[in-house]
Formats: sequence, structure tokens, C-alpha cells
Amino acid sequence: MPDQSFAPLQEHWINVERGEVSREVFISDRIHHLEMERIFDRTWVFLAHESELPNAGDYVARMLGSAPVIITRDGEGAIHAVLNSCRHRGTKLCRADSGNVRHFVCPYHGWSYERNGKLITTAFDRHFPADTDFTQLGLIRVPRLESYKGLIFGCWNPDVGALPHYIGDFRWYLDAFFARTPKGMEVLAPPHRLRTKANWKLGALNFIGDSQHVLTTHVGPTTLDPLRSAQAGLFTPGKDSVQLITDEGHGCTLTYFNEGLPETVTRSHPQDLERLYAQVLEAGQCALLHRLRVAVGNVFPNFSFIEAIVGPAQRAIIIRLWQPVSGTEMEILSWVLAEREADAEYKARALKIGARTFGIAGVFEQDDLTIWASATTAGDNRIARQYAYGFQTSLPYRNEPLTDYDGPGRAFRPVTTEVVQFEYMRHWDRVMRSNA
Amino acid sequence: MPDAKAVDAETYGLIQRFAYRETALLDRRQYREWLSLLTDDITYRVVAQTTRDAADDAVDYAIIDEDAAGLRLRVDQIATPRLTHAENPPSLTRRFVSNLIVSAGSDPSEFLVEANFLVYRNRSGVPDGGLYAGERTDVVRRVNGDLRLARRLVRLDQTVLYGGPVSILF
Repeated sequence: MPDQSFAPLQEHWINVERGEVSREVFISDRIHHLEMERIFDRTWVFLAHESELPNAGDYVARMLGSAPVIITRDGEGAIHAVLNSCRHRGTKLCRADSGNVRHFVCPYHGWSYERNGKLITTAFDRHFPADTDFTQLGLIRVPRLESYKGLIFGCWNPDVGALPHYIGDFRWYLDAFFARTPKGMEVLAPPHRLRTKANWKLGALNFIGDSQHVLTTHVGPTTLDPLRSAQAGLFTPGKDSVQLITDEGHGCTLTYFNEGLPETVTRSHPQDLERLYAQVLEAGQCALLHRLRVAVGNVFPNFSFIEAIVGPAQRAIIIRLWQPVSGTEMEILSWVLAEREADAEYKARALKIGARTFGIAGVFEQDDLTIWASATTAGDNRIARQYAYGFQTSLPYRNEPLTDYDGPGRAFRPVTTEVVQFEYMRHWDRVMRSNA
Repeated sequence: MPDAKAVDAETYGLIQRFAYRETALLDRRQYREWLSLLTDDITYRVVAQTTRDAADDAVDYAIIDEDAAGLRLRVDQIATPRLTHAENPPSLTRRFVSNLIVSAGSDPSEFLVEANFLVYRNRSGVPDGGLYAGERTDVVRRVNGDLRLARRLVRLDQTVLYGGPVSILF
């Protein structure tokens, strides 16, 4: 029998008692449009990393929600974000993905703007009414733009709280991955980009804490991993591995090495970098990194990251952005980062192995992406839509957060349950309702 | 215009035959046979482009950047049915290699081989990824009388990849 409990759908996206989420949430274009209004026009969304804009005039073109924006650095080093559309007749000012500009000149009628969006001239100022206030004809500025430790976020809602407040307690974790050396992280290459037929939340859920899929979806790379064949027990999570989520809806899963593995295996950060971590981080964050095998996480709504051991004393950190296109399609952007202080060989290996593992042609991603697209194809019909997605293994655990966990957030063990994924969806549901 | 680096017709024919044979192995998913045509020191890169102003330098990004061991790892995954979802069921692919230009390489044992290619890919009944078009720049080396692929740079004419993940080789 079809499950009727989700009709009418907008009132029953989530069934907390049963640990279920309506499949419509991962398919429907109507919900996609609501998400754009209620989430992506209202909350902080990741745009770029500061290291993508090293020089005055550098810009990258990105999406903020459904709107194209230009993020640029001015001559004083300040970063700006403006709508990539001329105030006159809407033409795109930057049609390239990246570049360097002195000012923006519209190719249509020649309106020109400073890098901060201020109008320089319309080219026909003399024909405007005498009382025209040209200061009001600049490019539409993204009303809120802030960086947190090199991560640039924008928000269309002028009344949103400050970014550090939005990230909240999750800063403790973000710092451990993105601000752990005195000079911080840098992006090593332009982002991989792939447009694929799957809902963006499948990516966010996968990265916030889907430890159940690793050995089935990724049977290939986990079987073939040369590190694994060299060391039995490498892929058995340590008992202290933990999944957690904060009140702001940001979460991560920290999988530690199993007890008893030799230090030659677990010492996966180069020692010269670990010494730098100790200069910047608290002892708790250093301990987190020291025993970490893999971390995945997500800042609500669609900024994900992964740090994985990809070789002896070799790590790769990836930022992943799940950009919604429709209910059944997203564009994925994927960057590889390393500590600025790391040597050139380390960075080259991080980039190379980052692509091999978690790039859009990576040995892990190819199977994830295949499965997400198949879930979307199989669900996008009137019959399948009536049946919810299951998160039942969250139920026995969701009211049992750890009482002895030191770090921020509500933390849960073991990692192989769906509790943080389900709590992420509950947060999504709260945001969708509160911004209605 | 005569090209001092151009090779004679016989050599061109040998290189062309090698290119077709190597490409056919990929179409037939005879990946391990394909690996046997590579040198041990192969570098293999597939890059996509970014959209840039005409006056600016091109900027690309590598989606595959492998040595021989990395290629073997990828092949072990996609050629072993129980170890792959992306290639099980396998993609149906057809590769077209044309516009072949063969020049003498920097080493007397090597040839520089430039070609255009088109890869058609069909997966799960739909053109998944559609068409990959681009150019490849190879170094083909004579090793004990046999030709071997020593370097491949694949430049895709795409900035954003579409459809399924790139789980095939070029």
C-alpha cells in the first residue's frame, strides 16, 4: 500500500516518529523553488576561497542561490560580490569563470563600474534627467559578504546574523581543517565542475555522515587501496569515532584510526605541518587531527568538506559545493586545498591524489555519483514518490547524545547510524518552515 | 609547407595503426591489454577547461592525473565487475580518432602524436556524459621494436562536465 502519511506533502516532509523523509524532498521542482527562496536567498552560502583571488582585480564568477555573482578583490585588498548583471539592460558583465579586471564594462551599451560595483559612467550620462542620482545605479551588491578563515560566504538577506554567529560552535571543527597553520589553507587549482542528475541534498547528507555507504558504494577503492592491503584493520573505525551536529545544523563525522595500529601507519600528517598545527590550534583540535583517518562534514546548507589520508604522510582536503539546479539536478564544484606552508611536492601530490580519489572522475566519486543519479531516476515518478526515504537507524540513537564528549555539538556513537543525517534533514525542515 | 619534424609515410602508418589498435582496446573495455601498451613511466592527464576572456591565458584543471600505478588502480576498479558501480553495467563507448599529426619527438626513439577525438558514451540507455570532444597529445616511444604510449595529455573541450561521472579512460 502506498504510504499516505506524506499527503499533503508540504505539511509532512518529515516523519520524526518513523525516521522518514518524503521522497518529494529529493525530487520535486516545487520544493526546489521553495528551497531557493527560503534557504538560498536567506542564509549564508559559500562562494569562494580567498586564495582564489590573490591579486587586486582578480575575480571569479559563481552562483549565489539562483543568481550569478562576481566575487572580486579591489585595489585595497577588500573583497566584493555583485550581481553579474548590468543595471541598465541586464547583460552579464563577466562571461568568463575567472580573470582580472580594472573595472567592469558592459559589452552592450558601455556602462562601466568599479570593482566594488559603483557606477563610473553610463557613457551617456549627459542624456539622463538632470536630477539622476548616479550613485543609485551601481551594480547590485550582495548585501552581506563575509569571510571566515579564508572561506568567503555571501547572503542575499541583509538581516542575516553575522557569519561567525551563523557558523556558531562549528567553528571549532572548521578551524581544525581550514585554519590550522599560521598562514592558513590555499586552493590548489580551479574547481572541478560536473552537472549531474541528482538532488543537491544527497551530497550534503553523504558528507555530513553516511558511514553506512562506505564499504558497499566504495567497495572498489576500499578493496584496492594499497594502504589497506599493507595494513589489516585500517578501515575499521576506531571506537571513539564520532558523528555530531550543532544547533545551527552543521555537522561532521570524524573517523579515527582503530586502536593498535602502528604509528608508521597512523602518522598521516607530515610532521612539519603538525608542528604548525600546535602553534594555532587547541590541544583538543590537535588530538582530533592526530588520530584522524577521515573526516567528512557539511556547513548548512551545501558546503561540504572531506579530509582523508591518501598515502603515507599525505592528506587531501576537498571542499565540495552542491549547487542546486532543479529538484533533480545539481552542479558540483570541488576544490583541493593544502596548507600554504606545505612544500611544493606535498601540494602537487595532494592535487593529484585529490583528483584520483574525490575529484569528479575520482575512484570514490564515480560510484557515489552513479548511485545518486540512479536514486533520482528511480524516484522521479508518481509511484515511487509516494514512498519515503528511510533514516530508521537514527531512531534508537537520536535522543541519546553522548554525555562525555568534549567537543562542540550533539555527538553520537557509533558512526554507523543515520542520526546526524536525519538531524540535518530536521534542521532543513525547520529552516524551510521558519522562513515560509 | 614542408615540416622538418614530419615523419615518412611508413612511420605515419605504423603510428596510425598503433593509435587505432590502442583506441579499439578501450572501446572493447580490454583495459588490461591497453595497459600493456603503456610504458612504465607513462604520465596520463585529462584536463577540462575554464571559460576565460580571449585576451587571458587559458586555465585548465586536471580531472585525471595519473602515473602507471594510478592507471592500474583505476583499471582494477572499472574492469572488475564486483568493484565498480559506475562501470557495472559498463558504459557503451565509441571513440573516433582523427586529424592525426605525427612528428619526430625530442628523443630519437619517440614520436609526438597529436589527434582530435570524439568519444560517444551511452550508459543506462541514455547518452550519459554525451559526447566528449577534444584533442590528445601523445608521446609514443619505440621500446625493443614495439610502440608504447609514454605520455598522454587529453584536453576536453568542456568547462563543466555533464551527465555521469567520468569513469572511462580516453
